[in-house]
Amino acid sequence: MQASRARLFKEYKEVQREKTADPDIQLVCDDSNIFKWTALVKGPSETPYDGGVFQLAFSVPEQYPLQPPQVRFLTKIFHPNVHFKTGEICLDILKNAWSPAWTLQSVCRAIIALMAHPEADSPLNCDSGNLLRSGDTRGYQSMARMYTRLAAMPKKG
Amino acid sequence: MDSDHEFYDMYSDDEEEDSNNVDESNIDIDKQKNYKILKDFDIRQLVKEDISKISTILSVSRDVSLALLRRYNWKVDRANEEWFANEQEVRKSIGMFLCDNDNNNYVSVSKKSKNNDNIVNCGICFEEYNDVVYATCRKHPFCKLCWEGYIGASINYSGPNKCLDLRCPDPSCEAMVGESIIVELASERDKSKYYDYLFRSYIEENKKTKWCPYPGCECAVEFEIGSDDYSVICDCSNGFCWNCLEEIHRPINCDMVAKWKYVNEEESANTNWFRAFTKKCPKCDKSIEKNMGCMHMTCRCGYQFCWLCFKQWGVCASRCNRYEEKKEVTKSKEKIERYTHYYERWLSNGKSKDKALNDLKEMKEEGLKKLSNDNSLPEEELGFIIEAWEQIVECRRVLKWTYAYGFYLPKEEEAKTQFFEYLQGEAEAGLERLHHCVEKDLMKHLRSDEMDYTDKGSYKKFANFRSRVIGLTKITRNYFEKLVMALENGLQDVTNNPTKKIEQPMSSNSTSNNIMWMCDRCTFLNEDIHTVCQMCIED
Repeated sequence: MQASRARLFKEYKEVQREKTADPDIQLVCDDSNIFKWTALVKGPSETPYDGGVFQLAFSVPEQYPLQPPQVRFLTKIFHPNVHFKTGEICLDILKNAWSPAWTLQSVCRAIIALMAHPEADSPLNCDSGNLLRSGDTRGYQSMARMYTRLAAMPKKG
Repeated sequence: MDSDHEFYDMYSDDEEEDSNNVDESNIDIDKQKNYKILKDFDIRQLVKEDISKISTILSVSRDVSLALLRRYNWKVDRANEEWFANEQEVRKSIGMFLCDNDNNNYVSVSKKSKNNDNIVNCGICFEEYNDVVYATCRKHPFCKLCWEGYIGASINYSGPNKCLDLRCPDPSCEAMVGESIIVELASERDKSKYYDYLFRSYIEENKKTKWCPYPGCECAVEFEIGSDDYSVICDCSNGFCWNCLEEIHRPINCDMVAKWKYVNEEESANTNWFRAFTKKCPKCDKSIEKNMGCMHMTCRCGYQFCWLCFKQWGVCASRCNRYEEKKEVTKSKEKIERYTHYYERWLSNGKSKDKALNDLKEMKEEGLKKLSNDNSLPEEELGFIIEAWEQIVECRRVLKWTYAYGFYLPKEEEAKTQFFEYLQGEAEAGLERLHHCVEKDLMKHLRSDEMDYTDKGSYKKFANFRSRVIGLTKITRNYFEKLVMALENGLQDVTNNPTKKIEQPMSSNSTSNNIMWMCDRCTFLNEDIHTVCQMCIED
């Protein structure tokens, strides 16, 4: 308990100090609970998510950093490795490939990388995975693009 | 030879009691075994030996040896070869860098000098330390507390393979975290869990070792690869086939067992349902389910018949209430009946075996002591009962599987079928005699209060009974050995000269026939040229 709190506090300070270090990620800790964080990440360029801002919710376990944090998308996103309804993410470093040397910041970076490189072979969103696996990149991109516009971009007017 | 020696050494403690019971005439039972039973202690010993072999030959640390053995599935020779072929590559693959001063335990718990100028940040808790621990990479420092947490989490949550192959916590680093760090930093409970995983990996990844498949048994078996008899009897008294891990199934082979099991599963599910709810159309043989109340059936093929008597509709009219003996059995029904015949016998011999196995265990655990006390006879003199039970268990098992053999014996090969049935029948009869004698007659002799074996006359009766059981055990064993041998070579005797062998069982009814004579003791039919019985003859 103490260890996770201390470590999260260090991460918090680091985030405060380097607020501008990574312009794509904005990591915020819940005011009253250091185990709850939210992040805003920018969709990577040259992907259908470009221009969108996606909100992630972190729930950090007490055994952190020995155990990985739980992360899910709050913003709707059409991506093979993200559950369309719950926002749950299928990413190895959040499961068995977790290392305690990772930080919340680096998890965000890994998620951005996942958005740019979807793994169609272990899909949580089968429709999206099937589009990619059958080679229909255009179909996948237009669906992803549409949901980015609908859910991740500020509404015009 | 060396290995045999070890084997007997290992078991000298456990078997002392039993060995006293072994009757002289039964010593030949212990043939040269082609397997060893390994208990917890033996497995530890083997792991230890393999590690020290590698570390002596390659002069590397225990950590490196262990990582090497794991990498090459515990094959000592392979590990040596690979190492000599390309040490650098192998080092890289197992994450054991640092080639210099290999001989000093180059492990990884290095305490940095206590000077203040050497303060480093731990990569997990980000606190500052001047006392940190490295894996073999020497690049990524972590504090002791975080190492403990990392190791504990890997042992408890990440599964055996991850903790046995633990790498530096830095995600980009491949450096191995050796056993020595784990042993130093893990809690007692986690340590024993770690070693459990390690020994399990030894048994499971080694080609020549397997766990005993029976529930609750913790023994492993080391098998001499290349030997042809797969039958293994574990210390838990259960026997299994090394190759397919099913119960011992001599004389039939593993493929046939798999086929038989498959058929059983298919049949039991299907036939039960079919039998209960369907009948076959007498004309086209398709299964029909009756889903309406009246007996007038119209099959898809157009044939109309009476559900009760199978005759064409209209013919039976009011006659099918009369009982008539069945004359014709349809082909498929015959097939099912044939299968059922073998299956039922296979099943009941299996059950009988299980019962006998329980009886044997009980006898070993308590029965013998009780008998010895009740009858004031020393336990050594009662060892023959154990021998007999062991024989019964084995024979029931063989008999069970001969029924699967029978099922797969082609019906066209009449000579073979006859010969097989003759051998099986003889063996079965012998076994029934022995089983009856040990199960029932034993009561008369040893469980009744009238007998007092301190008295000389009564003791003689007991001695007679004893030699009868020993004799029967031996005869039964001979019968079964012959049966197994004959079936294992595919009943070739009959194909070579069919007439001669089939004549034997045919003429068995007439003892007056001067070609054959029947043994009084075991009822075996001997040819005239022999003067002593060929079945129960002394070796």
